[in-house]
Amino acid sequence: MSTTSNTLKIHTFTCAWCGLTATKSTSDGALRNHCPSCLHSQHVADHVEGGPSECEGRMSPIAIAVLRTGDWMLIHRCVRCDELTSNPVCGDDNQLILMRMAVRPLAQPPFPLEALGSL
Amino acid sequence: MPRRTRPRTQDQRRQRHKDVLHDRGGHRANDFRCVGCRLDVSVDAPGTAHRNHCPQCLASLHVDRRIPGDRASECRGRMEALAVFTRPDGEWMIVHQCLSCTELSSNRIAGDDNAIALMRLALRPLQDTDRASRTLINL
Repeated sequence: MSTTSNTLKIHTFTCAWCGLTATKSTSDGALRNHCPSCLHSQHVADHVEGGPSECEGRMSPIAIAVLRTGDWMLIHRCVRCDELTSNPVCGDDNQLILMRMAVRPLAQPPFPLEALGSL
Repeated sequence: MPRRTRPRTQDQRRQRHKDVLHDRGGHRANDFRCVGCRLDVSVDAPGTAHRNHCPQCLASLHVDRRIPGDRASECRGRMEALAVFTRPDGEWMIVHQCLSCTELSSNRIAGDDNAIALMRLALRPLQDTDRASRTLINL
């Protein structure tokens, strides 16, 4: 019985935002660090000094970054200490939230977009 | 600066030390020159009090560690604009990534930032039509 519960803890994690129990590795073998449903993550690694972080705050997804290879990266920000991290997007991540984040800046442009059309 | 080819003779007067203008907090103390396009940038910017990137090419320099403005980082690497996101109040923010240590930081856009460079950054996820259309089909 104890073996079973330990195995469950090693291979899965519970999302800090929506409570979904997700597997730590995806179906194609890549390691997962954020919830596939709401894309929230947890601040466990310290990227400024390296090593584990003692913050353990919830990290919310804020932006999509594109690598030179064309792959999408997901940028998280810790809601407790404002640190930023980037992680590759998994194949089974929630596409609606990904697309919403990608087009969100275009919905609220800081300058009139009509001027760009006349260039 | 001209290179000194012959040793200084006794009768030559040493250059007087000027600490009036070029000391910290003096004349144009916080102005910087962009590492990407060599544009001279003044920190007085419309719309923001914390300008840290070039308005022309959006490049920045890795000088801050954890707190913005602490100037505690020893990296000094070049930071390039990676992505754009909006704050809940609708303000655009730029995410910079250091090219030498891959550290990330975010800064609000200024009023005189290059609109075309910002637009290119915002449209980058949609540029690869294959990836974007696959995402839309999977919705």
